Amino acid sequence: MHELLLFASVPVHQHHELLQQLAGLTAMQPRHAIERRLIFKAYRKPGLITGRVGGSQDLQQSGDLQRVNKMLNGSMFYTQVVGPVSEKELGPASTSMSTSVPAPDPDTPMAGTDESKPPAPVPNAAVPDGEASAYDYEQQPWRLEFRDIPEAATRSAITTRVMASAALPRGDIVPSMNAWGYGFVTEYLVEGDIFIHNDIVIFLHRVLHYPSSDNEPREPRRNLTALKDMEPLEKTGSYVLQASITVQDGTNQETMKTASQHLFGLREQLKSAVRLEQADRLSLDTRAK
Amino acid sequence: MAALTSEEYKVLEQSRQRLVQLTRSLGSLIASLEQGDPLPPWCAAPPEPQPSAKDPQITPQSRSSLQSQANIISNNLVSVSEHLSDHRDLLSSLVAYPGPEYPGRTQGNILEQLLRTKLDPRVEDWVARGREAGTEPSPSALDLSNATSNPTAPATPAQNLLSESELADLWEWAPLEANEEARRRNWGGNFTLEEREAGIQNVVTGLRRQLEDDDGSEEEEEGEEDEGEDEMEIVGVHRKSGGGSGLEFDIAPHHAHIAEPVVPLDEILRYMTTGRMP
Repeated sequence: MHELLLFASVPVHQHHELLQQLAGLTAMQPRHAIERRLIFKAYRKPGLITGRVGGSQDLQQSGDLQRVNKMLNGSMFYTQVVGPVSEKELGPASTSMSTSVPAPDPDTPMAGTDESKPPAPVPNAAVPDGEASAYDYEQQPWRLEFRDIPEAATRSAITTRVMASAALPRGDIVPSMNAWGYGFVTEYLVEGDIFIHNDIVIFLHRVLHYPSSDNEPREPRRNLTALKDMEPLEKTGSYVLQASITVQDGTNQETMKTASQHLFGLREQLKSAVRLEQADRLSLDTRAK
Repeated sequence: MAALTSEEYKVLEQSRQRLVQLTRSLGSLIASLEQGDPLPPWCAAPPEPQPSAKDPQITPQSRSSLQSQANIISNNLVSVSEHLSDHRDLLSSLVAYPGPEYPGRTQGNILEQLLRTKLDPRVEDWVARGREAGTEPSPSALDLSNATSNPTAPATPAQNLLSESELADLWEWAPLEANEEARRRNWGGNFTLEEREAGIQNVVTGLRRQLEDDDGSEEEEEGEEDEGEDEMEIVGVHRKSGGGSGLEFDIAPHHAHIAEPVVPLDEILRYMTTGRMP
């Protein structure tokens, strides 16, 4: 599958306005989403020939060697394991906030024009907070998301990359990942709102860190922190707007072209609000060096 | 018919050269319009009060401004038409015919082009349009000069000026519309998003003073007269908060501090991909 993407940086003071604009454009309420994202990196298995030892091999052999090396080492990638979590699972805030936390971030509630409450992932009133906050790591569903480095030298101003996703077993994912040759690197939380506009998925999100502690754990956390206590990666709290279209058959030029035209159309519609752009290819480089 | 004298040959040759010059300058204008990005400046940059080191692009391009190119073309046209009317007798009496050595069989098309006596239909249209524009008295231009030179003159109905009631309507409509338009915008600075992206130094404000891009710093130059003690109370306008001097208006909700993202988008995406801290 292929993925076509456009990105924009959204300053925090524009976030609320943009949410309303997107809600108007897409004629839907934002779907709040929080995801744990674990980053895994393929590691080199020991005992692998890593390079040429001497300079005197004959050409044929070194060519073969290089090809084998490339096959074994070239396809090493960072990959992400994504697990959706709900706000209640993040646990009660450390302070008295726990009684009324539909959305800890002052930006997110959709006040103003619409009377109806935003369809939060969890209807807060239904479940008492006390029992809701239990996060069960063993029951956490996971999804493996592989993303290739964006294709080079595409003439259109759109980021295009090969992608694949697969469902993973629930619970502790590290042993399986290790067995496949992937080591845990780090994890963070992505918090944001999703809109669907025809075939475009619009995700307005930001990266949140866990409160920094001295000993950075070498494995995914088993307990989560309240959203309110998380620290945004971007200190000013700015958001990233990502518009994406997934194309099943990336080799079909016709569908790829249609998809990019749709993205360009969206870019045109949002031109006065944000500037959607292609991302720097190397910043999305998933190859492990 | 007698053979041409060398004098007459020269006349022909001259008209050819002038026509060549004309086509060349037309061609260069078309090329600069089609390929120039951005378009060539409207007129050559006037001598600027400030040192022009900021925009070095203007000066080398000043020769190819649209106006100077139009000047060149119009000079060419004048010289062609002068030349043609000077030698009208000769040129109208000349008859062209192919020489015996002309390869008429193989180059028939060119021959027909050269020998055709009627104009191309397309060209005929142009000529007709040009004649029309040249002969018709332009009332709009008359009006305009009238109105500007003598603005107090009573507007006769024949002229395209607005009547009193229309003017009243316009004045009634405009402030409301302008106010509504203003409310729709997010006032937070002197420049629009588009202008800021294109680079604020290129914005033609028409003002003598320098407008600041007050995105980052809200300080603004202020005259001495505001130091006076007897200030009128003005509704909807108040001193800028935060100790800075200047006024702010209650048109739109003002963002107390506009925090632009510090970490560039690329770094965020890189972190999301590989976990490398920016």
